[in-house]
Amino acid sequence: MGIIEKVPAYIERLPGGGIVTTSMDWVLNQSRASSLWYMLFGLACCAIEMMAAGASRYDFDRFGMIFRASPRQADLMFVAGTVTHKMSKRVKLLYEQMAEPSYVFAMGGCACNGGPFYYDCYSVLKGIDQVIPVDIYIPGCPPRPESLMEGCLKLQEKIKKEKMSDWASDRKEV
Amino acid sequence: MTKEQITARLKDKFGPELEIVENNQPEPYFYISMAKYYELCSYAKNDPQLDFDFLFQLGAVHYPDDRFEVALCLCSHEKNHKAVVKVRLDHDNPETVTISDIWKAANWFEREAMELFGIGFFGHPDPQPLLLYDDWDYGYPMRKGWTGPDFVPMPEK
Ligand code: SF4
Repeated sequence: MGIIEKVPAYIERLPGGGIVTTSMDWVLNQSRASSLWYMLFGLACCAIEMMAAGASRYDFDRFGMIFRASPRQADLMFVAGTVTHKMSKRVKLLYEQMAEPSYVFAMGGCACNGGPFYYDCYSVLKGIDQVIPVDIYIPGCPPRPESLMEGCLKLQEKIKKEKMSDWASDRKEV
Repeated sequence: MTKEQITARLKDKFGPELEIVENNQPEPYFYISMAKYYELCSYAKNDPQLDFDFLFQLGAVHYPDDRFEVALCLCSHEKNHKAVVKVRLDHDNPETVTISDIWKAANWFEREAMELFGIGFFGHPDPQPLLLYDDWDYGYPMRKGWTGPDFVPMPEK
């Protein structure tokens, strides 16, 4: 995209530039990983479990995760539930409206591969990864909030490994 | 009214056109001939003793032996009784008349049956697709033996 995305890659080539980018990476990744705001939407029964994970008993707020009602303010999307062919276009639209960097969880069997609706079904999409790129798959029908949290910790690990110099490659083209 | 009273009242009116299904459900089950289907519906709605003021389900069924049926579940809030009415359709050309002028609720149920089973309802006020996505072009998905894009049939056990 813009030239600004290439700047870290150039800095890294300067003598001593690695120190600058690594410390910047650390700051950015820490702040991203500790404030994953997720988008408030649910498609089916898995959404109930996501709500439970967000409410006080399991408390996503411990990880700095709170829900946002708009894709423009969200970093993370839980695709929580059955994605039908009709809905998949809307989910894709929501994903495209999220600002970079954006991460996607496929929550539950339905979002991973169609789950209980895999066989003999005319309406359900067989896996949300046919439509949008997925970072973390969480199997289960529905997954317990603990598995959702495990997924969030895995995503934090993943974010902490990101580098500014990778920005020049456009994630959304993948 | 009890099951027996409803059955007797409808049997009086429709005679051999009405076929009673024996089962141990609390509601009466009938088959009505296609010719008397509309008449039975308007009688059930307007008769002061039956007074079926509410249609809570209209469903189409495609049986494995290739028959189509339409089943109505009727209910009377006033008299607190229920009934199930079925009508057999021609399997090459499944068609019947709309009852959406009797119960408004039938409008969307009939659109659903039209779209998913390909059953025609004569005189329907708004025969448009209701549920499937806009560029759907793969026929009637709830019919037996239907296949479509990325359809995976259940493997044999
Ligand atoms: S995976 Fe199970 S719980 Fe989750 S949306 Fe699908 S059917 Fe519902």
